[in-house]
Amino acid sequence: MEQFFQQLTNGLAIGGIYALIALGYTMVYGVLRLINFAHGDLFTIGAYLGLTLLTSLALTEHLSGFLGVGLLALMVMGLVSLIGILLERIAYRPLRESHRLSAVVSALGASIFFQNAIMLIYGAKYYVYPQNLLPNTPIFILGMPIPLMRILILLASILMMIALYLFVQKTRIGTAIRATAIDQAAARLMGIDVNRVIMIVFCIGPALGGAAGMMVGIYYGQINFTMGWIYGLKAFTAAILGGIGNIPGAMLGGLLLGVIESLSSAYISMAWKDAIAFVVLILILIVRPTGLLGERVAEKI
Amino acid sequence: MKRLLCLVAGLFCAMVTSTQAADAVKIGLMGPLTGAWAGEGQEMKQVVGLLAEELNQQGGVNGKKVEILNEDDAGDPRQASLAANRLATQGVVAVIGTYGSAITEATQNIYDEAGVIQVANGSTAIRLSEKGLASFFRTCPRDDEQGKVATATIRKLGFKKVAIIHDSTSYAKGLAEETRTNLKNENIPVVFFDALTPGERDYNTILTKMKAADPDFVFFTGYYPEAGLLLRQKKEMGWAVPFMGGDAVNNPELVKIAGTAAAEGFLFLTPPLPKDLDTPEARAFVAAFEKKFGNAPRSIYPVLAGDGFRVIIEAIKGTGSTDPVKVSTYLKKSLKDFPGLTGKISFNDKGDRVGEVYRVYKVDNQGSFILQP
Repeated sequence: MEQFFQQLTNGLAIGGIYALIALGYTMVYGVLRLINFAHGDLFTIGAYLGLTLLTSLALTEHLSGFLGVGLLALMVMGLVSLIGILLERIAYRPLRESHRLSAVVSALGASIFFQNAIMLIYGAKYYVYPQNLLPNTPIFILGMPIPLMRILILLASILMMIALYLFVQKTRIGTAIRATAIDQAAARLMGIDVNRVIMIVFCIGPALGGAAGMMVGIYYGQINFTMGWIYGLKAFTAAILGGIGNIPGAMLGGLLLGVIESLSSAYISMAWKDAIAFVVLILILIVRPTGLLGERVAEKI
Repeated sequence: MKRLLCLVAGLFCAMVTSTQAADAVKIGLMGPLTGAWAGEGQEMKQVVGLLAEELNQQGGVNGKKVEILNEDDAGDPRQASLAANRLATQGVVAVIGTYGSAITEATQNIYDEAGVIQVANGSTAIRLSEKGLASFFRTCPRDDEQGKVATATIRKLGFKKVAIIHDSTSYAKGLAEETRTNLKNENIPVVFFDALTPGERDYNTILTKMKAADPDFVFFTGYYPEAGLLLRQKKEMGWAVPFMGGDAVNNPELVKIAGTAAAEGFLFLTPPLPKDLDTPEARAFVAAFEKKFGNAPRSIYPVLAGDGFRVIIEAIKGTGSTDPVKVSTYLKKSLKDFPGLTGKISFNDKGDRVGEVYRVYKVDNQGSFILQP
């Protein structure tokens, strides 16, 4: 039983990261009906920028660990959202009126561009975050030692998700985002600046992805320029699982995918865990083609 | 605009003439210049490039200059087959490379059909040389050799319950299965055998599961990025079981990824490290490399690629010809105890390197790799 709970927390920690990245996919899809394949690479950029800022500004030396990391997270989120806005301007906006496939190809191209740009700027080697940025003493929950970092990561992702949910549901801009997701043309007729809404979406999604990249860097230590691929793929799967275009769906899908992965590798086979996760995905899509929470089409995003 | 056009046209002409400048001996280098193993590939390019430069300064081989054609396999079998096709159509005598076994496998038949000699530098999977391809060689040892050394080491250290993890690549899986069979024959039980997915960051799940099987020794046959994370997360769990790795963990980045404290005491098998190479040729080479690039080669595989280049040149000299059949016959029959950078080199009929190459290393409390007696 202890092993079960231990594996459950392992799964939730991984799932929290997936969920945070999945939000970026799902928001962009909700508004533009576009799978932003470059999102995984924005996540990587977040991890690299975090490391660069951390080593060049030495924030955690001047401030306490938590304050320093918090400030760092804000800076990384700001920078990555700038890159997200540029990405939309350069790679997606010119193709807004063309066929959907063109935009997908453009997204794939942007992904390859980012990955190779990171490799050329930083080099192909692995980079390592400084250790012990934050205290990592185990905390005992139900008698099980759980590293503090893992709890913090899960908490940070859940907090960011709740903040996003409230933003989209309760604010005027959030309402505009939802209206644009339902019908762009009608939203424009109602006086909503659709370009601005899309810009905001490309601000929030990459910011969350970048934050996730930085969290992965701090927690696991090791980053490299191909890391976005596997996380992007998993997060994309999570977004589909929860119902793409749906924000709570992305959170649920991410956490669920993490838990399915860790439990199936604990009790069936580790080598087969991805296969099992995808079988579960297919089964869910057979029963619910729109994903777990994807039924409220009218309220997408 | 016109000026730009002129420039482009000029560059194009320069490229065309430089490829035609020929009557040079062309040798291909296929390595992972990009992708997850780009660190290895970039260094392969540096090592072979430096050796070729030195050779050309001394007048080349048989009165001809040597030209190296670099192609990127990106550590990916699909990309590798494209790279192999490009090299095979450019009239190369031989190709040095590549690093990963699965990548080499994707290119073997292409080179064989084109009559190009291939000298792999890091591909240790057994079956690569069991296909009866006349022109395939490798300067690295094979996995069954490594499996034997792994088993002997475990027996010597006296462990009784062993866990083995691989990462499903042909190299790691081959080594893991070989070791499992050997351990069974020696009546040392393997209590845990499974695979992780490379490229992920979180291996707590596999560690938690493995801990439940209660092994007293863990052998990980995969690559250094995952080995580093396993060590780091194992330490975080407070689990003190000793770990050993295969030769793919031999990279200083391992210690950086794991952190010195977590890496201390980690054992691994590998051909000797560049710094422990003790032949005069090797010392001279390492010094020249340091002078040019500012550091000694970080990994042994690029040096093995250099040995691949040197044996090819030796065979071209020895036969006075660039005919692939003559060169490969020379390598198998006439080349005996050639003084390579990594020790003496001879090949058997399958194209495998003969002789004991593996050593046991241990990470000390400074994070340095110390050769074990």
